[in-house]
Amino acid sequence: MTNRRITPESLIELAVQTLRAEIMPKLDGDARYQAAMIANALDIARRSIMTDGEEARFALLDKVYDDGDGTLADLARDIRSGVVTTATHPDLPQMLRRLLVEEIEVRNPRFLEGRRR
Amino acid sequence: MTKDRFRTFDPARVPALAGWLATRLGAARVEIAEARRLSGGAVQENWRLAVVVEGGARAGRHDWVLRTDAAASLAVSLDRASEFAMLEAAHAAGVRVAEPLLRSDDAEVIGAPFLIQGFVTGVAQARYLVRDKDLARRGPLIAADFARELAKIHTIRPTEGRLSMLPIPVGSPALHEVARYRTVLDTAGEPRPALEYALAWLAANAPDPVAPALVHGDFRTGNLMVDGDRLSAVLDWEFAHWGDPDEDIGWLTAPCWRFGNAAMETGGLAPLQAFLDAYEQAAGRRVDPRRMAWWRILAAARWAAIAVLQGDRYRLGGEDSLEVALTGLMAAEIELDALDGIEAYEAGKPAP
Repeated sequence: MTNRRITPESLIELAVQTLRAEIMPKLDGDARYQAAMIANALDIARRSIMTDGEEARFALLDKVYDDGDGTLADLARDIRSGVVTTATHPDLPQMLRRLLVEEIEVRNPRFLEGRRR
Repeated sequence: MTKDRFRTFDPARVPALAGWLATRLGAARVEIAEARRLSGGAVQENWRLAVVVEGGARAGRHDWVLRTDAAASLAVSLDRASEFAMLEAAHAAGVRVAEPLLRSDDAEVIGAPFLIQGFVTGVAQARYLVRDKDLARRGPLIAADFARELAKIHTIRPTEGRLSMLPIPVGSPALHEVARYRTVLDTAGEPRPALEYALAWLAANAPDPVAPALVHGDFRTGNLMVDGDRLSAVLDWEFAHWGDPDEDIGWLTAPCWRFGNAAMETGGLAPLQAFLDAYEQAAGRRVDPRRMAWWRILAAARWAAIAVLQGDRYRLGGEDSLEVALTGLMAAEIELDALDGIEAYEAGKPAP
Protein backbone atom coordinates (compact mmCIF):
# COMPACT_ATOMS: atom_id res chain seq x y z
CA MET A 1 0.00 0.00 0.00
CA THR A 2 1.47 3.33 -1.02
CA ASN A 3 2.12 5.85 1.69
CA ARG A 4 2.20 9.34 0.24
CA ARG A 5 3.48 12.26 2.21
CA ILE A 6 1.46 15.43 2.14
CA THR A 7 4.14 17.72 0.76
CA PRO A 8 3.87 21.35 -0.34
CA GLU A 9 3.90 20.28 -3.98
CA SER A 10 1.24 17.62 -3.43
CA LEU A 11 -0.98 20.18 -1.68
CA ILE A 12 -0.63 22.53 -4.61
CA GLU A 13 -1.41 19.72 -7.04
CA LEU A 14 -4.56 18.79 -5.11
CA ALA A 15 -5.61 22.42 -4.92
CA VAL A 16 -5.26 22.90 -8.69
CA GLN A 17 -7.11 19.69 -9.45
CA THR A 18 -9.96 20.74 -7.18
CA LEU A 19 -10.05 24.20 -8.71
CA ARG A 20 -10.18 22.81 -12.22
CA ALA A 21 -12.63 19.98 -11.59
CA GLU A 22 -14.97 21.48 -9.02
CA ILE A 23 -14.89 25.25 -9.30
CA MET A 24 -14.03 26.30 -12.83
CA PRO A 25 -16.91 24.43 -14.50
CA LYS A 26 -19.28 26.52 -12.36
CA LEU A 27 -17.80 29.82 -13.48
CA ASP A 28 -17.93 31.85 -16.60
CA GLY A 29 -16.71 35.14 -17.97
CA ASP A 30 -14.26 37.13 -15.89
CA ALA A 31 -14.45 34.79 -12.87
CA ARG A 32 -13.49 31.83 -15.01
CA TYR A 33 -10.60 33.77 -16.52
CA GLN A 34 -9.33 34.69 -13.06
CA ALA A 35 -9.63 31.06 -11.90
CA ALA A 36 -7.68 29.87 -14.95
CA MET A 37 -4.90 32.33 -14.08
CA ILE A 38 -4.88 31.03 -10.49
CA ALA A 39 -4.61 27.43 -11.72
CA ASN A 40 -1.77 28.45 -14.04
CA ALA A 41 0.08 30.26 -11.25
CA LEU A 42 -0.26 27.25 -8.93
CA ASP A 43 1.07 24.93 -11.65
CA ILE A 44 4.09 27.18 -12.10
CA ALA A 45 4.68 27.28 -8.34
CA ARG A 46 4.46 23.49 -8.15
CA ARG A 47 6.90 22.93 -11.00
CA SER A 48 9.22 25.49 -9.46
CA ILE A 49 9.30 23.65 -6.13
CA MET A 50 9.84 20.30 -7.83
CA THR A 51 12.69 21.34 -10.04
CA ASP A 52 16.31 21.91 -9.12
CA GLY A 53 16.35 23.76 -12.35
CA GLU A 54 19.45 25.90 -12.12
CA GLU A 55 21.90 23.68 -13.99
CA ALA A 56 21.89 25.65 -17.19
CA ARG A 57 22.28 28.89 -15.26
CA PHE A 58 25.26 27.59 -13.25
CA ALA A 59 26.85 26.05 -16.35
CA LEU A 60 26.57 29.35 -18.20
CA LEU A 61 27.91 31.51 -15.37
CA ASP A 62 30.73 29.08 -14.54
CA LYS A 63 31.81 29.09 -18.15
CA VAL A 64 31.85 32.86 -18.48
CA TYR A 65 33.18 33.75 -15.03
CA ASP A 66 36.20 31.65 -13.99
CA ASP A 67 36.09 32.74 -10.39
CA GLY A 68 32.56 31.39 -10.05
CA ASP A 69 31.33 34.73 -8.80
CA GLY A 70 29.38 35.96 -11.78
CA THR A 71 25.67 36.64 -11.67
CA LEU A 72 23.06 37.01 -14.38
CA ALA A 73 23.18 40.75 -13.79
CA ASP A 74 26.93 40.72 -14.47
CA LEU A 75 26.34 38.74 -17.64
CA ALA A 76 23.62 41.10 -18.86
CA ARG A 77 25.89 44.08 -18.23
CA ASP A 78 28.86 42.43 -19.95
CA ILE A 79 26.82 41.48 -23.02
CA ARG A 80 25.58 45.07 -23.27
CA SER A 81 29.06 46.55 -22.99
CA GLY A 82 30.53 44.10 -25.50
CA VAL A 83 32.84 42.33 -23.04
CA VAL A 84 31.00 39.04 -23.62
CA THR A 85 30.20 38.32 -27.28
CA THR A 86 30.07 35.36 -29.65
CA ALA A 87 33.67 36.25 -30.53
CA THR A 88 34.81 35.74 -26.93
CA HIS A 89 32.29 32.92 -26.25
CA PRO A 90 31.24 31.21 -29.49
CA ASP A 91 28.62 29.06 -27.80
CA LEU A 92 26.97 31.99 -26.03
CA PRO A 93 23.69 31.69 -28.02
CA GLN A 94 23.40 27.97 -27.22
CA MET A 95 24.06 28.55 -23.53
CA LEU A 96 21.49 31.33 -23.42
CA ARG A 97 19.04 29.07 -25.19
CA ARG A 98 19.52 26.37 -22.54
CA LEU A 99 18.99 28.98 -19.84
CA LEU A 100 15.72 30.06 -21.41
CA VAL A 101 14.52 26.47 -21.91
CA GLU A 102 15.22 25.80 -18.24
CA GLU A 103 13.08 28.80 -17.26
CA ILE A 104 10.29 27.92 -19.67
CA GLU A 105 10.12 24.31 -18.45
CA VAL A 106 8.91 25.74 -15.16
CA ARG A 107 6.88 28.65 -16.47
CA ASN A 108 5.11 27.18 -19.50
CA PRO A 109 6.33 23.73 -20.63
CA ARG A 110 3.57 23.54 -23.27
CA PHE A 111 5.35 26.31 -25.15
CA LEU A 112 8.24 23.92 -25.77
CA GLU A 113 6.07 21.10 -27.09
CA GLY A 114 5.91 21.08 -30.86
CA ARG A 115 8.71 23.57 -31.32
CA ARG A 116 11.28 22.67 -33.90
CA ARG A 117 13.89 21.62 -31.40
CA MET B 1 -30.55 55.61 -19.95
CA THR B 2 -27.67 53.34 -18.98
CA LYS B 3 -26.99 51.06 -16.07
CA ASP B 4 -23.19 51.02 -16.44
CA ARG B 5 -20.87 52.12 -13.70
CA PHE B 6 -19.63 55.59 -14.53
CA ARG B 7 -16.05 56.69 -14.29
CA THR B 8 -15.03 59.83 -16.13
CA PHE B 9 -18.29 60.24 -18.05
CA ASP B 10 -21.17 60.95 -15.68
CA PRO B 11 -24.88 60.79 -16.70
CA ALA B 12 -25.41 64.24 -15.24
CA ARG B 13 -23.15 65.53 -18.00
CA VAL B 14 -25.25 64.21 -20.89
CA PRO B 15 -27.23 67.45 -21.27
CA ALA B 16 -24.00 69.44 -21.29
CA LEU B 17 -22.58 67.14 -23.95
CA ALA B 18 -25.75 67.39 -26.04
CA GLY B 19 -25.63 71.18 -25.79
CA TRP B 20 -21.96 71.26 -26.79
CA LEU B 21 -22.66 68.98 -29.77
CA ALA B 22 -25.54 71.24 -30.89
CA THR B 23 -23.27 74.28 -30.82
CA ARG B 24 -20.40 72.62 -32.65
CA LEU B 25 -22.68 71.07 -35.27
CA GLY B 26 -24.75 74.20 -35.85
CA ALA B 27 -27.85 72.20 -34.96
CA ALA B 28 -31.10 73.45 -33.48
CA ARG B 29 -31.09 70.58 -31.00
CA VAL B 30 -29.20 67.38 -30.21
CA GLU B 31 -30.60 64.49 -28.23
CA ILE B 32 -28.41 61.69 -26.87
CA ALA B 33 -30.91 58.86 -26.89
CA GLU B 34 -28.54 56.30 -25.42
CA ALA B 35 -25.05 56.14 -23.92
CA ARG B 36 -23.51 52.73 -23.40
CA ARG B 37 -20.04 52.00 -22.08
CA LEU B 38 -17.93 49.92 -24.45
CA SER B 39 -15.66 47.25 -22.99
CA GLY B 40 -11.92 47.17 -23.31
CA GLY B 41 -9.14 49.45 -22.19
CA ALA B 42 -8.05 50.24 -18.67
CA VAL B 43 -6.48 53.47 -19.87
CA GLN B 44 -9.23 54.81 -22.08
CA GLU B 45 -12.95 55.03 -21.63
CA ASN B 46 -15.21 54.59 -24.65
CA TRP B 47 -18.95 55.22 -24.85
CA ARG B 48 -21.27 54.40 -27.69
CA LEU B 49 -23.78 57.20 -28.24
CA ALA B 50 -27.06 57.09 -30.17
CA VAL B 51 -27.38 60.71 -31.26
CA VAL B 52 -30.28 62.51 -32.93
CA VAL B 53 -29.31 65.81 -34.56
CA GLU B 54 -32.00 68.30 -35.57
CA GLY B 55 -30.87 70.80 -38.18
CA GLY B 56 -27.42 71.77 -39.38
CA ALA B 57 -25.06 69.91 -41.70
CA ARG B 58 -25.21 66.67 -39.67
CA ALA B 59 -28.97 66.38 -39.24
CA GLY B 60 -30.14 62.83 -38.67
CA ARG B 61 -29.53 59.83 -36.43
CA HIS B 62 -25.97 58.76 -35.76
CA ASP B 63 -24.01 56.07 -34.04
CA TRP B 64 -21.00 57.79 -32.52
CA VAL B 65 -18.30 56.96 -30.00
CA LEU B 66 -17.02 59.25 -27.28
CA ARG B 67 -13.42 58.56 -26.23
CA THR B 68 -11.91 60.00 -23.10
CA ASP B 69 -9.32 59.00 -20.49
CA ALA B 70 -10.34 56.65 -17.68
CA ALA B 71 -10.53 58.15 -14.21
CA ALA B 72 -7.34 56.51 -12.93
CA SER B 73 -5.28 57.04 -16.03
CA LEU B 74 -1.56 56.53 -16.56
CA ALA B 75 0.27 58.80 -18.95
CA VAL B 76 -0.60 57.55 -22.41
CA SER B 77 1.55 57.77 -25.48
CA LEU B 78 -0.91 60.00 -27.30
CA ASP B 79 -3.34 62.42 -25.71
CA ARG B 80 -6.79 62.88 -27.20
CA ALA B 81 -5.76 65.91 -29.28
CA SER B 82 -2.87 63.99 -30.82
CA GLU B 83 -5.02 60.92 -31.37
CA PHE B 84 -7.57 63.08 -33.15
CA ALA B 85 -4.88 64.56 -35.40
CA MET B 86 -3.65 61.04 -36.14
CA LEU B 87 -7.16 59.91 -37.15
CA GLU B 88 -7.53 63.00 -39.33
CA ALA B 89 -4.23 62.38 -41.09
CA ALA B 90 -5.05 58.71 -41.63
CA HIS B 91 -8.56 59.54 -42.82
CA ALA B 92 -7.18 62.12 -45.26
CA ALA B 93 -4.80 59.50 -46.67
CA GLY B 94 -7.74 57.20 -47.31
CA VAL B 95 -6.96 54.77 -44.49
CA ARG B 96 -10.03 53.11 -43.02
CA VAL B 97 -10.39 54.46 -39.49
CA ALA B 98 -13.27 55.53 -37.33
CA GLU B 99 -14.28 58.89 -38.81
CA PRO B 100 -12.87 61.67 -36.58
CA LEU B 101 -15.71 64.15 -35.99
CA LEU B 102 -15.14 66.55 -33.12
CA ARG B 103 -12.91 66.99 -30.15
CA SER B 104 -12.75 69.09 -27.01
CA ASP B 105 -9.77 70.07 -24.88
CA ASP B 106 -12.19 71.72 -22.47
CA ALA B 107 -12.67 69.67 -19.31
CA GLU B 108 -15.78 71.69 -18.50
CA VAL B 109 -18.08 69.77 -20.83
CA ILE B 110 -17.86 66.22 -19.43
CA GLY B 111 -15.01 66.56 -16.92
CA ALA B 112 -12.09 65.61 -19.18
CA PRO B 113 -10.89 66.20 -22.75
CA PHE B 114 -12.58 63.91 -25.25
CA LEU B 115 -13.12 63.19 -28.90
CA ILE B 116 -16.15 62.05 -30.90
CA GLN B 117 -15.70 59.57 -33.72
CA GLY B 118 -17.94 57.42 -35.91
CA PHE B 119 -18.95 53.97 -34.69
CA VAL B 120 -17.52 51.17 -36.79
CA THR B 121 -18.97 47.68 -37.16
CA GLY B 122 -16.74 44.67 -36.93
CA VAL B 123 -14.76 42.29 -34.77
CA ALA B 124 -11.22 42.95 -33.66
CA GLN B 125 -10.66 40.31 -30.98
CA ALA B 126 -8.04 37.83 -32.08
CA ARG B 127 -9.57 34.80 -30.42
CA TYR B 128 -12.71 35.08 -32.57
CA LEU B 129 -10.86 35.82 -35.79
CA VAL B 130 -8.26 33.04 -35.57
CA ARG B 131 -10.84 30.37 -34.75
CA ASP B 132 -13.28 31.24 -37.50
CA LYS B 133 -14.38 28.09 -39.31
CA ASP B 134 -14.28 29.91 -42.63
CA LEU B 135 -10.73 31.17 -42.09
CA ALA B 136 -9.22 29.23 -45.00
CA ARG B 137 -11.39 31.27 -47.36
CA ARG B 138 -11.60 34.56 -45.47
CA GLY B 139 -8.04 34.78 -44.18
CA PRO B 140 -6.29 35.59 -47.48
CA LEU B 141 -8.93 38.19 -48.34
CA ILE B 142 -8.59 39.85 -44.96
CA ALA B 143 -4.76 39.71 -45.18
CA ALA B 144 -4.82 41.42 -48.56
CA ASP B 145 -7.05 44.14 -47.12
CA PHE B 146 -4.67 44.59 -44.18
CA ALA B 147 -1.89 45.01 -46.73
CA ARG B 148 -3.65 47.70 -48.75
CA GLU B 149 -4.52 49.73 -45.67
CA LEU B 150 -1.01 49.43 -44.27
CA ALA B 151 0.45 50.57 -47.59
CA LYS B 152 -1.72 53.70 -47.36
CA ILE B 153 -0.48 54.39 -43.82
CA HIS B 154 3.07 54.18 -45.12
CA THR B 155 2.42 56.91 -47.68
CA ILE B 156 2.11 59.46 -44.85
CA ARG B 157 5.35 61.43 -44.47
CA PRO B 158 6.73 63.95 -41.94
CA THR B 159 5.54 66.73 -44.28
CA GLU B 160 2.00 65.93 -43.09
CA GLY B 161 1.17 69.08 -41.13
CA ARG B 162 -1.43 67.48 -38.90
CA LEU B 163 1.28 65.28 -37.35
CA SER B 164 3.72 67.99 -36.35
CA MET B 165 3.37 66.84 -32.72
CA LEU B 166 5.30 63.64 -33.52
CA PRO B 167 9.03 63.94 -32.82
CA ILE B 168 11.15 64.17 -35.95
CA PRO B 169 13.26 61.05 -36.20
CA VAL B 170 17.01 61.45 -36.00
CA GLY B 171 19.37 58.78 -37.34
CA SER B 172 18.53 55.18 -38.09
CA PRO B 173 14.99 54.11 -37.11
CA ALA B 174 16.28 50.57 -36.53
CA LEU B 175 18.97 51.68 -34.07
CA HIS B 176 16.49 54.03 -32.42
CA GLU B 177 14.24 51.09 -31.65
CA VAL B 178 17.14 49.04 -30.24
CA ALA B 179 18.08 51.97 -27.99
CA ARG B 180 14.48 52.25 -26.81
CA TYR B 181 14.43 48.68 -25.49
CA ARG B 182 17.89 48.98 -23.96
CA THR B 183 16.51 51.92 -21.99
CA VAL B 184 13.74 49.66 -20.69
CA LEU B 185 16.32 47.13 -19.49
CA ASP B 186 18.38 49.85 -17.77
CA THR B 187 15.78 50.12 -15.01
CA ALA B 188 14.35 46.59 -15.16
CA GLY B 189 13.67 44.62 -12.00
CA GLU B 190 15.53 41.52 -13.15
CA PRO B 191 18.48 40.94 -15.50
CA ARG B 192 17.69 39.52 -18.95
CA PRO B 193 20.99 38.42 -20.57
CA ALA B 194 19.24 36.69 -23.50
CA LEU B 195 17.40 39.91 -24.36
CA GLU B 196 20.65 41.88 -24.09
CA TYR B 197 22.22 39.41 -26.51
CA ALA B 198 19.30 39.80 -28.95
CA LEU B 199 19.56 43.60 -28.78
CA ALA B 200 23.33 43.46 -29.32
CA TRP B 201 22.80 41.26 -32.38
CA LEU B 202 20.08 43.60 -33.68
CA ALA B 203 22.37 46.63 -33.29
CA ALA B 204 25.20 44.86 -35.10
CA ASN B 205 22.98 43.71 -37.97
CA ALA B 206 20.70 46.72 -38.35
CA PRO B 207 19.37 47.39 -41.85
CA ASP B 208 20.30 50.61 -43.63
CA PRO B 209 18.01 53.53 -42.80
CA VAL B 210 15.17 54.50 -45.10
CA ALA B 211 13.32 57.80 -45.40
CA PRO B 212 10.91 57.93 -42.47
CA ALA B 213 7.25 57.22 -43.02
CA LEU B 214 4.34 56.88 -40.60
CA VAL B 215 4.60 53.59 -38.72
CA HIS B 216 1.40 52.52 -36.95
CA GLY B 217 3.43 50.83 -34.23
CA ASP B 218 0.87 48.20 -33.20
CA PHE B 219 -0.57 46.98 -36.50
CA ARG B 220 -1.57 43.42 -35.62
CA THR B 221 -4.52 41.08 -35.21
CA GLY B 222 -6.39 42.46 -32.24
CA ASN B 223 -6.11 46.08 -33.32
CA LEU B 224 -7.65 45.63 -36.74
CA MET B 225 -11.43 45.61 -36.90
CA VAL B 226 -12.75 43.11 -39.43
CA ASP B 227 -16.22 43.20 -40.95
CA GLY B 228 -16.92 40.33 -43.33
CA ASP B 229 -13.85 39.94 -45.50
CA ARG B 230 -12.54 43.46 -45.10
CA LEU B 231 -10.71 45.61 -42.58
CA SER B 232 -13.32 48.09 -41.38
CA ALA B 233 -11.09 50.21 -39.12
CA VAL B 234 -7.50 50.44 -37.96
CA LEU B 235 -7.59 50.95 -34.19
CA ASP B 236 -5.19 51.97 -31.43
CA TRP B 237 -2.90 54.60 -32.89
CA GLU B 238 -1.17 55.42 -29.62
CA PHE B 239 2.20 53.99 -30.68
CA ALA B 240 2.33 55.66 -34.08
CA HIS B 241 5.67 57.30 -34.88
CA TRP B 242 7.95 58.17 -37.81
CA GLY B 243 10.10 55.21 -38.78
CA ASP B 244 10.81 52.31 -41.11
CA PRO B 245 7.65 50.81 -42.66
CA ASP B 246 9.14 47.33 -42.41
CA GLU B 247 8.75 47.68 -38.65
CA ASP B 248 4.96 47.31 -39.08
CA ILE B 249 5.44 44.32 -41.38
CA GLY B 250 7.75 42.63 -38.88
CA TRP B 251 5.27 43.22 -36.03
CA LEU B 252 2.23 41.93 -37.97
CA THR B 253 4.03 38.76 -39.10
CA ALA B 254 6.08 37.99 -35.96
CA PRO B 255 5.63 34.50 -34.41
CA CYS B 256 4.41 36.03 -31.14
CA TRP B 257 1.31 37.52 -32.81
CA ARG B 258 -0.16 34.40 -34.43
CA PHE B 259 -2.47 33.44 -31.55
CA GLY B 260 -1.82 29.70 -31.85
CA ASN B 261 -1.96 29.51 -35.68
CA ALA B 262 1.81 29.24 -36.06
CA ALA B 263 1.74 28.41 -39.78
CA MET B 264 -0.35 31.50 -40.66
CA GLU B 265 2.37 34.14 -40.74
CA THR B 266 -0.03 37.04 -41.32
CA GLY B 267 -1.24 37.59 -37.81
CA GLY B 268 -2.46 34.02 -37.41
CA LEU B 269 -5.02 34.54 -40.20
CA ALA B 270 -3.37 33.76 -43.54
CA PRO B 271 -0.12 32.68 -45.22
CA LEU B 272 2.53 35.35 -45.66
CA GLN B 273 2.17 35.71 -49.43
CA ALA B 274 -1.51 36.66 -49.14
CA PHE B 275 -0.31 39.75 -47.30
CA LEU B 276 3.00 40.41 -49.05
CA ASP B 277 1.75 40.19 -52.63
CA ALA B 278 -1.01 42.72 -51.91
CA TYR B 279 1.33 45.00 -49.92
CA GLU B 280 4.03 45.06 -52.60
CA GLN B 281 1.47 45.86 -55.27
CA ALA B 282 -0.20 48.61 -53.26
CA ALA B 283 3.05 50.12 -51.97
CA GLY B 284 4.88 49.85 -55.29
CA ARG B 285 7.97 48.35 -53.67
CA ARG B 286 9.38 44.93 -52.98
CA VAL B 287 9.77 43.92 -49.35
CA ASP B 288 13.28 42.63 -48.68
CA PRO B 289 12.89 39.31 -46.78
CA ARG B 290 16.09 39.97 -44.76
CA ARG B 291 14.76 43.34 -43.57
CA MET B 292 11.43 41.76 -42.66
CA ALA B 293 13.30 39.01 -40.77
CA TRP B 294 15.29 41.63 -38.85
CA TRP B 295 12.14 43.51 -37.90
CA ARG B 296 10.52 40.25 -36.73
CA ILE B 297 13.43 39.70 -34.37
CA LEU B 298 13.06 43.29 -33.20
CA ALA B 299 9.36 42.56 -32.64
CA ALA B 300 10.29 39.71 -30.30
CA ALA B 301 12.76 41.93 -28.45
CA ARG B 302 10.07 44.60 -28.09
CA TRP B 303 7.46 42.16 -26.79
CA ALA B 304 10.00 40.66 -24.37
CA ALA B 305 10.80 44.16 -23.09
CA ILE B 306 7.08 44.84 -22.64
CA ALA B 307 6.73 41.57 -20.67
CA VAL B 308 9.61 42.67 -18.43
CA LEU B 309 7.88 46.04 -17.87
CA GLN B 310 4.65 44.30 -16.98
CA GLY B 311 6.47 42.10 -14.46
CA ASP B 312 8.08 45.22 -13.03
CA ARG B 313 4.67 46.58 -12.12
CA TYR B 314 4.75 43.81 -9.49
CA ARG B 315 8.49 43.68 -8.78
CA LEU B 316 9.10 47.42 -8.50
CA GLY B 317 5.71 49.09 -8.68
CA GLY B 318 4.09 47.25 -5.78
CA GLU B 319 1.07 46.26 -7.86
CA ASP B 320 -0.48 43.02 -6.53
CA SER B 321 -1.85 41.72 -9.79
CA LEU B 322 -1.62 38.04 -10.69
CA GLU B 323 -2.11 38.85 -14.36
CA VAL B 324 0.79 41.27 -14.34
CA ALA B 325 3.09 38.80 -12.56
CA LEU B 326 2.21 36.01 -15.01
CA THR B 327 2.81 38.31 -17.98
CA GLY B 328 6.23 39.14 -16.53
CA LEU B 329 7.11 35.45 -16.65
CA MET B 330 6.45 35.33 -20.41
CA ALA B 331 9.66 37.17 -21.29
CA ALA B 332 11.64 33.92 -21.58
CA GLU B 333 9.33 32.49 -24.26
CA ILE B 334 9.59 35.56 -26.45
CA GLU B 335 13.35 35.77 -25.94
CA LEU B 336 13.49 32.20 -27.26
CA ASP B 337 11.55 33.38 -30.35
CA ALA B 338 14.22 36.06 -30.79
CA LEU B 339 17.04 33.50 -30.57
CA ASP B 340 15.24 31.29 -33.13
CA GLY B 341 14.94 34.28 -35.44
CA ILE B 342 18.64 35.11 -35.10
CA GLU B 343 19.65 31.52 -35.75
CA ALA B 344 17.50 31.32 -38.90
CA TYR B 345 18.82 34.68 -40.14
CA GLU B 346 22.44 33.63 -39.71
CA ALA B 347 21.80 30.32 -41.43
CA GLY B 348 20.17 32.08 -44.37
CA LYS B 349 16.89 30.30 -43.68
CA PRO B 350 13.39 31.81 -43.93
CA ALA B 351 12.28 33.76 -40.87
CA PRO B 352 10.16 31.72 -38.46
